[in-house]
Amino acid sequence: MTANTKFKRLSAGRDYIADNYRDTFSLTDAANNSLMSPFHFSRVFKKTYGETPNEFLIRLRIEKAKKMLITENFRVSEICERVGYMSLGSFSSLFLKHVGMSPTSYRRTLWRLSSESFRYPSQVIPTCYAYHFLRKPVN
Amino acid sequence: MIKSIAHVTVYVLNQDKALDFYKNKLGFEVGEDMTIEGGFRWLTVYPKSQTQLQLVLAEPKEGPMFTKEAAIKIRGLIEDGAFGVGVFETEDCQKTYEELVAKGVEFIQPPTEQLYGVEAMGKDDSGNWFSLVQQAK
Repeated sequence: MTANTKFKRLSAGRDYIADNYRDTFSLTDAANNSLMSPFHFSRVFKKTYGETPNEFLIRLRIEKAKKMLITENFRVSEICERVGYMSLGSFSSLFLKHVGMSPTSYRRTLWRLSSESFRYPSQVIPTCYAYHFLRKPVN
Repeated sequence: MIKSIAHVTVYVLNQDKALDFYKNKLGFEVGEDMTIEGGFRWLTVYPKSQTQLQLVLAEPKEGPMFTKEAAIKIRGLIEDGAFGVGVFETEDCQKTYEELVAKGVEFIQPPTEQLYGVEAMGKDDSGNWFSLVQQAK
């Protein structure tokens, strides 16, 4: 099997995770899409993408949640469900671990910094870009 | 010591079209797509197997650092193909080239043997050049 075919098969499993992040599914489900055993899928996934399938899923869910917290008015519990978590406690702990603050604090902080409703403040992008596109340097 | 490169800017003519190109033709993933206060769109993409380096797809527009004239000038240079995105690596240049051609990606040079491997040269939807390289083993 060529490297290209192997990569395509692996990508199919990764795409399955990305397409189904809102739902409950097992590692086996994702591995089946790659025509691999769960163990092999996990190993090759980590080697190729630098993160395990589960780490990828968590990263994806947290990123989606971060976006919803800023651009939507849903309650945190609703966002938790919309990104595929059944337990608000687990979601909040994971969010805190990855973002460094709770979902509520994240929303409150960014909303406070932004001058426009449901838009990100310029502080979320690297300052060189903010200066380039949004505001002039002070000095 | 600098550890790695996190973001690199690619100036494009239209962010929607660039997003379609990088996501649906090259198969990149969207890193961030957010509207910042003031209406600036922060749009990043990255190859699926390299999550730590994001390409910032930005439109040159009049703003704090660009005069209207400068933005027009840069857009003109992009259209003239004066800029390059960089080098994309692949395991199989011929195969990836064929897949991308089938998707409508424009190439300036088909896969060709070079000292460092096999290389094809293409253009993104804005006219930025890129190399597609299969490193020699």
